[in-house]
Amino acid sequence: MFRLVCLLCLLLGAPAWAAEIDPQGSPMWQFHRQRLLGTDPVRFDARVVVRAPPFAEDARQVPIEVDARGLGRPVRRMLAWAELNPIPHIFTLQLQSPRLQPFLSVRIRLEQATLIRAAVQTEDGVWRVGSAHVEAAGGGCTAPSVVRAQPGWEERLGQVLGGRYPRGEVDRLRLSVAHPMDNGLVGGIPEFYLERAELHDAGGERLGRLELFPAVSENPTLGFELRGGGRTGLRLRDNNGNEFAAEL
Amino acid sequence: MKRHVPLWALVLLLGLLGGGAAQAAYDYRLQPRQIAADTWLLEGSTENFAEGNGGNIVNCAFIVTEAGVLVIDSGPSRRYGEALRAAIGEVTEQPVARLLLTHHHPDHVLGNQAFTDVPIAALAGTTELLREQGEAMTENMYRLVGDWMRGTELVLPTETLQPGVFEFGGHRLRLLALSGHTGADLAILDERTGVLFAGDLLFHQRALTTPNSPGLDVWLADLQTLEALPWKLLVPGHGPLAADAAPFVQMRDYLGWLDALLRGAAVRGEDMNEVIRAPIPARFAGISLTRYELIRSVSHLYPRYEAQALRRIDQ
Ligand SMILES: [Zn+2]
Repeated sequence: MFRLVCLLCLLLGAPAWAAEIDPQGSPMWQFHRQRLLGTDPVRFDARVVVRAPPFAEDARQVPIEVDARGLGRPVRRMLAWAELNPIPHIFTLQLQSPRLQPFLSVRIRLEQATLIRAAVQTEDGVWRVGSAHVEAAGGGCTAPSVVRAQPGWEERLGQVLGGRYPRGEVDRLRLSVAHPMDNGLVGGIPEFYLERAELHDAGGERLGRLELFPAVSENPTLGFELRGGGRTGLRLRDNNGNEFAAEL
Repeated sequence: MKRHVPLWALVLLLGLLGGGAAQAAYDYRLQPRQIAADTWLLEGSTENFAEGNGGNIVNCAFIVTEAGVLVIDSGPSRRYGEALRAAIGEVTEQPVARLLLTHHHPDHVLGNQAFTDVPIAALAGTTELLREQGEAMTENMYRLVGDWMRGTELVLPTETLQPGVFEFGGHRLRLLALSGHTGADLAILDERTGVLFAGDLLFHQRALTTPNSPGLDVWLADLQTLEALPWKLLVPGHGPLAADAAPFVQMRDYLGWLDALLRGAAVRGEDMNEVIRAPIPARFAGISLTRYELIRSVSHLYPRYEAQALRRIDQ
């Protein structure tokens, strides 16, 4: 009934909130929307693309890609969450330079089948939201750490593998950071995770600031897209105050 | 013409029919097919695990000898194992003497419960992998095929196989310990009949699976070893038999394509979501489940290709 009323609203010249009917019809939508997006207006927008496999072959390493390049307009922030995860929030990316494209790829843990949401805030303050559903047998958040089972992982902590790949006008930047990303849900091991990554260019100009949460998989694998060449610096920090730096 | 049937009779009749239907619903209808002298095959479908097929997507086989019946793989569930045992009894009066497992994947070993009265033999690595992963794989099978699995429990092998010649009831069996599919893969060449039981080192018309593969290069090397054997008939782990090298040709083509796809994607800096959407060449259109298995293989294998393509950049 509620949906029918809303549909009528749309037909009769929609009020602002009418665009906020979750096309996925998820009962979790309002909860996360209020917590993560606050009171700013929201639109569901097919140009905010969330790419994910239809099912999680490995629930500890599920690749997702948030791509809002199709909006064709400046973006302030990008945010992603997995609705039914014990730790839903995946990342928040602040875009600090027009050179950084509204695009991020990352691998995440899933505890069960869920909707993945991405919200992208354009310069007019509106959050534009896209979604994807991933099937999962689950258990990705409570599975024992693979990293911690490998001898010598502590020496490798903070090692960064990277690559820079020109793709037409933009460069794809890929990073993989050695870190267990403990989420506090496994075997009494407290939270220990990378919480921030900052990108800057050779002149020190800020490009973007990425906040990470322990929904992100062990040994986080990240992909950015950047317009213009030159060296790019990376500063990383975990919640224990360890700092790491890299350049590519 | 009308006839009065007492209500109780109707109820009884419906009950019988209903009971029969419920049993038939979980009947694998296994039909052994003779493929060579003394040699019988139970061919599964090339589908994925589903409630509709009870997990019968696998090829099991048996060889009838004067020393009893040698069974190769026990199938996906207790029910299957029991049905396999019954099907063998329809073909021969020889008792089952031994079960050989080609590798530790659930569709090949979860019928073991029907064979606990005979030695269950496998490579040492297979038993090790079953110890590590067997319970989780069994649970996953319950999730995938549901009630067909009722009563199924993991039974570990009781005997360790060594590679080499294994004489059994007048059949000289050459046992090969290979590793491309799972790290511990048994292939069996019956020198008397020329039948090569390749296990899941050979898939035919069905996309190969890679959850435990040590690497596609290892798998390709195993194929070379197998193809060079004096076989006359190929029994793949999944898909139809072949008397020619077609399964080898298809496997090499597919593995080569997959390897090049993953390598190329890593060199171009692609993320998994791009790789799983890569076009699948038209020549593989006849192979079932290619997209599904590509999504899985990217998850299993791509991180290794990425690690090779990336370099240290920390300071
Ligand atoms: Zn297998």
